[in-house]
Amino acid sequence: MKLIELRDVGKKFGNNGILSDVNITIEEGDILGIIGRSGSGKTTLLNLIAGFLEPTAGEVLHSFNVTDTPKSLHRNLHKIKDQIGYAPQHNSFYPKLTVMENLLHFGQLYHLPKSTLQNNIKGLLQATALAAHQNKLAEHLSGGMQKRLDIACSLVHKPRILVLDEPTADLDPMLQKDIMSFLAQANKQGVTLVIASHHLNLMEKVCNKIAIVHNGKVHSNGLMADIQKPYLRDNFTISLNPGNNKERFISMLKTLPVDKIIDRQQRLIIHPKNITKTITGLLTMIQDEKLYLHDLDIRLPSLDEIFETITQEKE
Amino acid sequence: MRSLWLLTKKNLKLLVRSRSSALVVFFAPLFIILLLGLSYNSTSKYGLNIGIYAPSFTSDVESLIGSLQEQEFKIIKYETSVDDCVKDIKAGLVHACVSVPESLSVDSNKQKEVSFYVDPSKINLVGVIQDTLNEKFNLKSQELSKELSGSLLSAVSDTKSKLDEQGTQLSSAKEKSAAASSAAQEINQQLDALDLTLPASTYNPQLIADFKTSASPKIKSGLSEIKDAMNAVEASELEEKSAILSSLDQVEEKLKSIDLLVNGAAVSGNTTNITNSSNVSTTTSSNFLSALTLLEEELLNSKVKLTAAATAVGSTSSSLSATTQNLQESVSALDTAQQKVTEMKASLDAQKVTDANVLSAPLITKIERVGQESSYLNYMFPALLVLIVMFSSLLLGTTLVMMEKNSPAFFRNYFLPLRKGTFVISTYFTTLVIILVQVLVILAVSAAFLKGNLLQLLPVAGVLLLSSSVFSFIGMGIGYSFKSEETGTLASISTGSLLLFVSGVVLPIETISPFIRSVTSFNPFVISESVIREVFLFNAGIAEVWPELATLAGYTLGLFAIILVAEYLVHKHFISGFMKHRHLKHRQQEKRDKNNV
Repeated sequence: MKLIELRDVGKKFGNNGILSDVNITIEEGDILGIIGRSGSGKTTLLNLIAGFLEPTAGEVLHSFNVTDTPKSLHRNLHKIKDQIGYAPQHNSFYPKLTVMENLLHFGQLYHLPKSTLQNNIKGLLQATALAAHQNKLAEHLSGGMQKRLDIACSLVHKPRILVLDEPTADLDPMLQKDIMSFLAQANKQGVTLVIASHHLNLMEKVCNKIAIVHNGKVHSNGLMADIQKPYLRDNFTISLNPGNNKERFISMLKTLPVDKIIDRQQRLIIHPKNITKTITGLLTMIQDEKLYLHDLDIRLPSLDEIFETITQEKE
Repeated sequence: MRSLWLLTKKNLKLLVRSRSSALVVFFAPLFIILLLGLSYNSTSKYGLNIGIYAPSFTSDVESLIGSLQEQEFKIIKYETSVDDCVKDIKAGLVHACVSVPESLSVDSNKQKEVSFYVDPSKINLVGVIQDTLNEKFNLKSQELSKELSGSLLSAVSDTKSKLDEQGTQLSSAKEKSAAASSAAQEINQQLDALDLTLPASTYNPQLIADFKTSASPKIKSGLSEIKDAMNAVEASELEEKSAILSSLDQVEEKLKSIDLLVNGAAVSGNTTNITNSSNVSTTTSSNFLSALTLLEEELLNSKVKLTAAATAVGSTSSSLSATTQNLQESVSALDTAQQKVTEMKASLDAQKVTDANVLSAPLITKIERVGQESSYLNYMFPALLVLIVMFSSLLLGTTLVMMEKNSPAFFRNYFLPLRKGTFVISTYFTTLVIILVQVLVILAVSAAFLKGNLLQLLPVAGVLLLSSSVFSFIGMGIGYSFKSEETGTLASISTGSLLLFVSGVVLPIETISPFIRSVTSFNPFVISESVIREVFLFNAGIAEVWPELATLAGYTLGLFAIILVAEYLVHKHFISGFMKHRHLKHRQQEKRDKNNV
């Protein structure tokens, strides 16, 4: 079921175009990952999805009420605020209130029944492992705890969709994993997630849909498998040891049937004309020349690679 | 030294580049100087409203009003009662009332009293008003004193010239009286010289008495016998009856003449006839005649004396005429002198003012204080209360808005299902609760020091909360206008100071230029202070202060509307500013990255 749909959306600030021709559909239960470089327009896109900004072109429609026709999200935001949660990049709670006071404060402002609110808070405290710290001032929590509290504050009213901007920024890898698993858990409980992040490997693991934003445009958008498709088998990657002679490898590859060789420092991405012949020819040459490879990668392209490919192509 | 300069340069750059700081640091002093320049660059002395009450506005009173208007006082006339004027003082419409008598001219030995009614709670104005009005009335008093003294001196001078004039006449009268005196002395001497002693009587009056005693019964007896004879004759039938009767009549007549002579005292008659007419005894008769002779001699002596007296009188007569003349002239001179003295007395009587006190100060001034006599704390109390509430509310409003704006949670508020007004009202209520506590503490503590009026503290608290609403919204407006908490606080304090400076608490508002004065009358500090003063010092009710309360309520609502707009604009500005800032930063980073490559 469609929750939010962006149709030909564009956004400008003054004469400064940030986004254009964005078409994204978010369905209930999705975990949509928005990836892009800094300044690519990710946060603007998130704000459009959250209804915080109004598009200057196209429309952002919501269908929270299934019986109604889709309506402008921004203009009807006041009616559906309780359906949306937003966790901005920087923590958004009161540092001088305790964990419990923050949750109660934001929860009460959504006018939830007392018992429902208490249940929500109890569940969130357990899920975020903050129960033991509920009486601590928020400013006294560690960075990871603060991020979890921030997300908990966004979930305290049980929204149908939660929009998160860089939820794992400035966190160590362990905390990043914790946060992502917490989010996955929330998704399982029915919360649709829209996440913008730099951490592509984490996004790849958690998100079922990806939108790659570059230079104000969404270049790839959809299910992970669909995004990988165009990048499937027209290339393979070899990883070299630091002692390897890269130029020797490149000159060997050029004797083989290849269309393009992309140099990525210790990695070479090869686009062959015939993948089997090229790989076989390469392996023979390596054996003959008694050379060594660190790795030969012919698996599905990672999100990281797809992203890199896209961003390089578009530049 | 170089480091110091570099740091100073950096600080200046940061200040200029932060628009709000630049506004406060550079433009606030300019603005304040401009405002003060406009306010106090005035040649007019005072913009005081002076109420004049007089039973009737005679030319005297009008002339006084004219001289007060020259001083650029605005004069408001009260014809019914001075109480109306006092009521207006309490309402702050009039700064002082002057109750003047119908006429200022002094026509008795009673000083004319002029009463000033001033509001002692306007401490910085009372002195100015008293001094200025006193100065005017002292001038008027001096003018009247001069007029009265002039009139008195003119009367004295007139009297003097009249006295000089009468001096000559009195000298002449004196000389004439002296001449009359010496003439009278002379006459006296002459009269003393007259011998008016009676001649010693040598005749014996007993002789005449004896003569009369002996002669009188005989005459009567003779007359009776004649009557009898005449009756007998009448009764007879004698032929000569008529002749006899006629003879008898004659005899009777003669006897009667004798009787008349003896008893009728007609001594001066013919003594011969007396002697011959009766048969009085010879002795008696001779005695009688000798007596008469003596009498005659004495009469002759008297005649001589009288002749001498007549001569003496004749000689004094001319002296008396001259004396009479002199005396008449003296009387005439004295008459004139008396008339002049009467005139002088009338002239002096016409001077109704003769009391030295009245002459030196015909007008006295009396200061009446409006309202109850209180301590200076009471008078200062309204201003102090508003001062505290103003600064607290301004700073609280600003700080609360700044706190929320700069709070990490500010962003989340946009996603809460609340109206924008809810945040504004919540900030307002927070301020109000704190101010309420402050006001209660202040009033409770003040109650220990204040005299009376404690019941009025309740409405005062109400008014303070209304004032606090106005100042809170102003503070909140400042909070929305500035970025950093420091500049916001500085702006709040500056705003409070400005409102205080043009409130009349520090300098009399009446001394500033009329235009700025008319603007400052809308100063919420002035309005609040005025209402609290009326309620606290003059026990005014809602009916008397409702226009001010309505103005404050109007400010509150107007400012609330402005704050809502500000909140809306801040929201918009925040989002676009936030996003613009983000993209600008990214672009700059990209540029730097490219340059580095």
